[in-house]
Amino acid sequence: MATRDPKLPLFQDADETVQAIHQGDIDAVVVMRALEGPQVILLHGAEEPYRVLVERMSDGALTAGPDGVILYVNDRLCELTGYPSTGLVGREFTSLFEGAPPPLVADLTAEASLMRNGDDAMPVAVWSRPISIANTTATLVRLTDLSIHRRAEQIAAAERFARSVLEQATEAVIVLAPDGHITHASWRAEQLAEQPPVGGRFSEAFPLEAESTDQTGTLALARFSAESLDTMLATKPFHGVEVKLRGERNATSAFLLSAGPLIDDNGANVGSIVTLTDMTERKRAEEQQITMVAELNHRVKNILAIVQSVAAQTMRSSSTLENFADAFTGRLRALAVAHDILTETRWIGVGLNELLAAVLAPYRTPEDPRISTIGPAILLPARAVVPLSMVLHELTTNAVKYGALSTRRGHIGITWQVSGDTEKSVELLWREQGGPAVKAAAAGGFGTTLIDHLIRHDLDGSTQVDFDPGGVRWTLAFPVRGPAAAGDATMGSANA
Amino acid sequence: MTELDGYNLRLYVAGQTPKSIAAIANLRKICEQHLPGRYEIEIIDLMQDPALAIRHQIVAIPTLIRQLPEPLKRIIGDLSNTEKVLVGLDIRPN
Repeated sequence: MATRDPKLPLFQDADETVQAIHQGDIDAVVVMRALEGPQVILLHGAEEPYRVLVERMSDGALTAGPDGVILYVNDRLCELTGYPSTGLVGREFTSLFEGAPPPLVADLTAEASLMRNGDDAMPVAVWSRPISIANTTATLVRLTDLSIHRRAEQIAAAERFARSVLEQATEAVIVLAPDGHITHASWRAEQLAEQPPVGGRFSEAFPLEAESTDQTGTLALARFSAESLDTMLATKPFHGVEVKLRGERNATSAFLLSAGPLIDDNGANVGSIVTLTDMTERKRAEEQQITMVAELNHRVKNILAIVQSVAAQTMRSSSTLENFADAFTGRLRALAVAHDILTETRWIGVGLNELLAAVLAPYRTPEDPRISTIGPAILLPARAVVPLSMVLHELTTNAVKYGALSTRRGHIGITWQVSGDTEKSVELLWREQGGPAVKAAAAGGFGTTLIDHLIRHDLDGSTQVDFDPGGVRWTLAFPVRGPAAAGDATMGSANA
Repeated sequence: MTELDGYNLRLYVAGQTPKSIAAIANLRKICEQHLPGRYEIEIIDLMQDPALAIRHQIVAIPTLIRQLPEPLKRIIGDLSNTEKVLVGLDIRPN
């Protein structure tokens, strides 16, 4: 018999009940049933009290005799193992386990792997106590399913893993639950968010800029309400929609919005992973590339037009194939020199001095006294470089063939001056002396025509040539405008 | 009988089980011997109405509850050990 204060908690009552059953002081118990409420159970034999209690345990339980043979199992153990009680009673206790079985001793607390019929072994906690049945000592063993605990541990480990991945991610990564709420967000995502993202809805934390007219992706997504957008992101995979985010911080940035399903171990869709990839730099590079390709295309076309024009005109004025080859090669070289200079200076332009040095380089040594250049520093815009290079080439070639550079004593003086403040213009004087006497026949050749054409049409300037018998004298005047329209020097109309 | 010295006892039984019958018999004998004229016994048969077990959270049958004098006391078993019942109910022989 036992006495107690009825206000004490129920579990103490259970203790006393067990003790009373053990001592044979009672022969009925009241059990609570979910539907029927309390019910009275009558106890009959000495083993009955245990059976009633054990049968209703939420854990698996068994009784094993001193020889280790299972005498009794409860329904829960049958559920856990997948065997009927007839398949368990009479078996050795140790045969229930995979690997090392726990020893059948009194007062044991251990963990083991319980074998299951047609399934993987289950981790269980094993707890045992001695009991007395009909004057024999047996062992009551309780087996608690640990798989839920293990699963919880695995989930916790997976959670830690996911957290560390998200913390390291340099892009904005957001994990959405199926209802559109954010469960995880990477560090970058937290920076982009309008409000702390975790727990909120995607559309609240990352409102999309619906007003943007140049973002086709945003316009397409803007048709959805915030709620349906959240649901869509959480349930439908899609890739590469370009969007802009609302808010001042992200005003100048473009993002690539993608979503993919989040699949759990069982293959079930448990949400989605949304990424916002910052496209700003990539877009800038793409735009620059498009501009550059267009520019290159334009320049190549110009060059081809010039080459075509030079070839046609050189052909017309060449009496033999050799003459043509010499003249054409020389003119192509002048073009190449101009382009080399433009490439080196990144199409900004070049000083007149540098251009002269490059064009004249093949015809003189560094200290050659036959050529002198005197004039103020002036930056030629890129558009003037090609035509002027060709003009200087023609003048030099003529000097080498017929003029001052065809003799040792000849001299070319190149002088220039710049006038004007806002609208600058250059006047360049090319004066040859000491060469053979100039013949009137030299006038009217293709070289002369080309020079005149280039200066007038491509440089908007004027030429004046004086075939003085002492040496030819060219006066070239042309304006120097800004570097705009670089490479626009065309000879498309240079048919004269 | 006054509230100060009276014993109000309630015995929960389960029909005619041996322990229930023994408990009823033992309780009456003890009360007659040690509390003559100072007790009231209420027998609750949970076989008739199991829901009555809820009030005093009865799990084992038979169980005796001393409702008065306070505090409440509870004795589980067939009350065959008179000394333990007297101690449990805190009864001083008259």
